[in-house]
Amino acid sequence: MKRRAQPWLGTMVEISIADAMTDIALAIAFEQAFQSIALVHRLMSFHAADSDISRINHADVGAIVEIDVHTYHVLQTAMQISDASAGLFDIRIAGRLMEWALLPATEQERALCQTYQAQKTAFTLTVDGTLKKQRADWLDVGGIAKGYAVDLAIQSLQQCGVRQACVNAGGDLRVIGDEGDDPIEVLLRDPAHPSSLAYKISLQNQALATSASYFSLVQTTQGRYSALVHGQTGAAMLDKVSVSVVVPQCILADALTKVVMASADADHACLTQFDAQAFII
Amino acid sequence: MKTTAIAPLVLISLAGMSTSAFATQYLTAEQAQKVMFPDATEFKSATLQLTLDQMQQIEKLVGLPARSAAWRTAMAYKDGKLIGYIVLDDVVGKFELISYAVGLLPDASVKQIEILNYRESHGAEIRNTNWRQQFVGKSASAGLRIGEGISNISGATLSCTHVTDGARRIAAVAQVAMVSTSITAATATQKK
Repeated sequence: MKRRAQPWLGTMVEISIADAMTDIALAIAFEQAFQSIALVHRLMSFHAADSDISRINHADVGAIVEIDVHTYHVLQTAMQISDASAGLFDIRIAGRLMEWALLPATEQERALCQTYQAQKTAFTLTVDGTLKKQRADWLDVGGIAKGYAVDLAIQSLQQCGVRQACVNAGGDLRVIGDEGDDPIEVLLRDPAHPSSLAYKISLQNQALATSASYFSLVQTTQGRYSALVHGQTGAAMLDKVSVSVVVPQCILADALTKVVMASADADHACLTQFDAQAFII
Repeated sequence: MKTTAIAPLVLISLAGMSTSAFATQYLTAEQAQKVMFPDATEFKSATLQLTLDQMQQIEKLVGLPARSAAWRTAMAYKDGKLIGYIVLDDVVGKFELISYAVGLLPDASVKQIEILNYRESHGAEIRNTNWRQQFVGKSASAGLRIGEGISNISGATLSCTHVTDGARRIAAVAQVAMVSTSITAATATQKK
């Protein structure tokens, strides 16, 4: 197993390739896969002023914003999951995270962002691939873009002829392999003691994402917050549990963890719709 | 209606196994140099010693403490021409120790960041300098146990800000102390 890791998307992205390849072919495969991750980082970063997400956030209501096809896909999938979960998953939560200082913002930026209300439409996607801004909600795709980046990196690896590999973006991961290959083992942190491992699971041609609040908890004078926002109430989710979702595509795994976390239901109807399975530990 | 049969998930309990057994070596410093500058024909390693004045300039540029006066660096050359720099560093996170390399272009812009090795431990251990020294700059063959097979951990996203902050600091180190030095060296050569 050959491994490389680079910091992207605010976390460490690890790519493992099991195939026997020449050094040059291997170097190209890693390069292509990391470039896919870097592309998603550039397009969808909340922090970078020239990302699609920043340009949408800073646009006026009613404005038409040109966005990349990858951003379009992520926003479209986010809308599908919001609809399917009656708003339990929502990417319009940047304002909440800015209030809790979990995302950086100036006073002026906070003033531009509308107060969070559940199940509102912040934008519509047009058939010609652009976005029309409908409300002054700010978007943060931190709960779905890592999953998409993993899918895109896997696609790059496959285009380079890689058969057996794993891409892990800070816990959101996907494995590929042929039927006869050994499954890839994934270890799950214990949510009560994150430096201990609770379970082991074997995956074959599947994606797995985990969400939990233990690494993002902050205590301020106003209260305790985490980077996980309940889409229907707008409150921070603070339960000491971890939610994992297994499904073929990592973009779905990543987003669906928030549906399960918010509903506290590992059999939520939304999972069946996307052929996903979940567990809470 | 979809009728895809899903194989039931099997979770095997690990009964609180510690992640301190978890270490991964990705690249040695030498491998990282070649990955970042595949066209280089020669690498020259050097320890860069910052002056107090340079450290203050770095702090001003990045808004972060310069932290260290001595840096492990290398210069990459292609047929005698400088094509970039490599700076090595280690950072300590919540309970992880990360060694990484930053590749910079001759103008001190960051070309690439590669994680060299990643190791998890408990708080007390990770704040102990001697313990950390065991792993810093070690190559796979020189003692870092590689967790083949048990390489993937899933959980809440662990922030990597300390690495990206570290890389910003290194870009400033390069700008303040490396680019100017090599320019001086180049000028000196021309004068000969």
